[in-house]
Amino acid sequence: MTNSPFLDRLRKRRTAIFFALPAVIILLAITVFPLIYELRLAFMSWELTTNAPARFVAFQNFGKILFHDARFWSSLRVTMVLIVFGVGIQLTVGTGLALLLNRLRRPRTLLVSLFLIPVMIAPVVAGFQFRMIYHDQFGPLNYLIELATGGRWRGFAWIANPKIALIAIMFTDIWQWTPFLMLIVLAGLQSVSLELYEAADVDGATPWQTFWRITLPLLLPVIIIGILIRAMDSFKLFDIIYLVTGGGPGNVTETISFYTYLQGFKFFSLGYTAAMAFVQLIVITVIAKVFINFQKRQQEGV
Amino acid sequence: MKPTKVVFFLLVLLLVLGIGAGLSREARAAAASPTPLDVIKWGYPPKFKNVTINVVGDAGHNLKPYEFWKGDFEKVGITIQITEVPFEGVYEKEKTEFVAGTGAFDVVTFYPAYIGDFAGNGYLEPLDNYMKKQPAAVWDPNPTDVLAPFWELYCKFGGKVYALPIDGDVLMLQYRKDLINNAEEKAAFKAKYKKELKAPETWQDWLQIGQFFTRKKGSKLAGQVLERDFYGSAEFAKRGFSFAWFVNRWAPYGEPYFDKDMKPLVNSPNAVNALQNMIDSLKNAPPDVLGYGYDELRDAFIKGNVAMVVQWTDVPKKGADPTQSAIAGKIGVGRVPGWEIGGKVVHRSMMPVGRVVAVTADSKNKDAAFWVAKHISYDRSLEDVSTTLTGLDPNRTTHFKNPQAYKMFPNVAEAEAYLKGVEAALADGYPEIFIPGAAQYADSLDLHVNKALAGQEKPKQALDAVAKEWNETTDKLGRQKQMELWNKALEAYKALGLIK
Repeated sequence: MTNSPFLDRLRKRRTAIFFALPAVIILLAITVFPLIYELRLAFMSWELTTNAPARFVAFQNFGKILFHDARFWSSLRVTMVLIVFGVGIQLTVGTGLALLLNRLRRPRTLLVSLFLIPVMIAPVVAGFQFRMIYHDQFGPLNYLIELATGGRWRGFAWIANPKIALIAIMFTDIWQWTPFLMLIVLAGLQSVSLELYEAADVDGATPWQTFWRITLPLLLPVIIIGILIRAMDSFKLFDIIYLVTGGGPGNVTETISFYTYLQGFKFFSLGYTAAMAFVQLIVITVIAKVFINFQKRQQEGV
Repeated sequence: MKPTKVVFFLLVLLLVLGIGAGLSREARAAAASPTPLDVIKWGYPPKFKNVTINVVGDAGHNLKPYEFWKGDFEKVGITIQITEVPFEGVYEKEKTEFVAGTGAFDVVTFYPAYIGDFAGNGYLEPLDNYMKKQPAAVWDPNPTDVLAPFWELYCKFGGKVYALPIDGDVLMLQYRKDLINNAEEKAAFKAKYKKELKAPETWQDWLQIGQFFTRKKGSKLAGQVLERDFYGSAEFAKRGFSFAWFVNRWAPYGEPYFDKDMKPLVNSPNAVNALQNMIDSLKNAPPDVLGYGYDELRDAFIKGNVAMVVQWTDVPKKGADPTQSAIAGKIGVGRVPGWEIGGKVVHRSMMPVGRVVAVTADSKNKDAAFWVAKHISYDRSLEDVSTTLTGLDPNRTTHFKNPQAYKMFPNVAEAEAYLKGVEAALADGYPEIFIPGAAQYADSLDLHVNKALAGQEKPKQALDAVAKEWNETTDKLGRQKQMELWNKALEAYKALGLIK
């Protein structure tokens, strides 16, 4: 039996390998294998509608997605709008609420619990709820608007007007997920040392200066994690679209996840769907990398 | 009392209430079954050896017949196991199980647009031999009783029978007969348009009558001051089935979806004209019409907000029920409007959705599965289509010859009028694309029709885009094979007189 240094190392770490092996096997089975299988699929044409066997098409699927599929780019644009504006508003409102709640003492726990109710609701339920709320003829939103304006204005056709439908979807997402960012920022705020605020107070800093120079820089790592989680979630936004608008009117609310679903589960174009999923994976990985690098730079700066 | 005891007491109370609620639901379900009518004569098969038949279909009231007639199945040794799938998820669920070869289902309920996919790929059992078994009272689903478009286009594929009908979905005209027949309105219409006010015959009439009845809050309608805005017409304009409301307008021109070489005909000048008519009609519709699916369109009509709609045939049954409808007794029905071609008006009614049942090729109990399908499709079908407990619609001559079964109407005459309307609509019936790839063809058409309705594309631009995408889909799925299947479909279209 040869005594190579590699085998020696393996022998020495036998116990560690023994304990790590189950986790590695599970990881390979449920993450790595599907990923490799899907990558292989992305280079195939496999149309289940006709039951024809899968065939290798090299980069054809990727070429079509990147250069010929206008619907892919349009749904990606809709998704990016939801991420940039939707998550941006969630962050602003969530941070504002967290700052207010942080000043409260006794009622804070109760208020946080109440604010978290939307987060606990399943998106599919939220979708149904808002489909009814937005109804032009019988929905409570337009009824209240009409009441408040003394019958002069009865609101919009929220989910039917192509200029407003995306905003209505965005508002639903904001309603549901702002409390999540609020919670993350509130947790960050509670970890900021009070001594820093006392020192700023002694130095005569205004509340605005305290916020910009102390609170925000210290919260930034937490905020970046929050944005990253929400950006990834928004990339997957499906349930609300499916229930409220079905991607319409036209394609103004068709997100990338909804379009991917159609390709996969309505058209059963498995190769093309796999290629779409990979392009999305690359996009979201790049976004995550940008945020994580930014967070690293911030931490180094602090 | 200690807090732990209070919590315990509350938990027990909740449990008791929960069980009580469950029991009362069970009791209600048992009570809420249609009364057997004994119109169709049928017989029980020899007893099976306690087999379980797995049934799948869209969740909700259309699976109720399996519960209504549970006793019939138990009597012959069949236990029914139901899997409910959301309406939009039926195709993906069934297709996934078929592809994976799980053999999970014996009887599948599906929308006939997918018969090409399911039968063409060998997932379904041909039923011709089962139908010929004796005695006929047990095994014959009586296909001659089924209306021709439904039987020929939605139950057969490649010359063989693969499915049996359970739901005669077809679109029909539904209008407020109290308004159309109102003397004051008739006079005003005649003064404005120099012609009689009557239910729309053509799509030009549809625009004119729609415009006439569209009125603002505070103005008068049939002598009553309106408390809210009222609209002349409405459409299914939400993504999903908006294409069917376009095809209603295009099909009368006699142009099929493709020619014999699979060249799309959808961007013809007639098709552009049809789409333009649909866009124009939105001016007479509620402002949120682009968000109208089945539910919204039904409610807008039966809650008295709209003068006329084209809708599925179950809506007048719901509209006749005063507990659900604000216009009970005021609904008139008729043929979907058409176009005047060669001196006569040609009408076409789309048959979107529909439901058929089929036996899967990998079922281990095919005889029992076939009898279950036949029992639901024929033996108990009159009971199932003549109740408001299901959304199933008439599809057989027997269903049309027994108006007394439709108890939701105040009298037999109204039931007869309704059934005549449905029968006429089915005679004008026009199918969805039902060759493999139906979902992709339908999605392209629906997306671009919807874009045109939303003002994102001009009608010609939208239909050119559909033609381009249809060509891409055909090439992707294999032009030669698609062409062969389409030419078989064209023969059925011709046999039924849908095209020349």
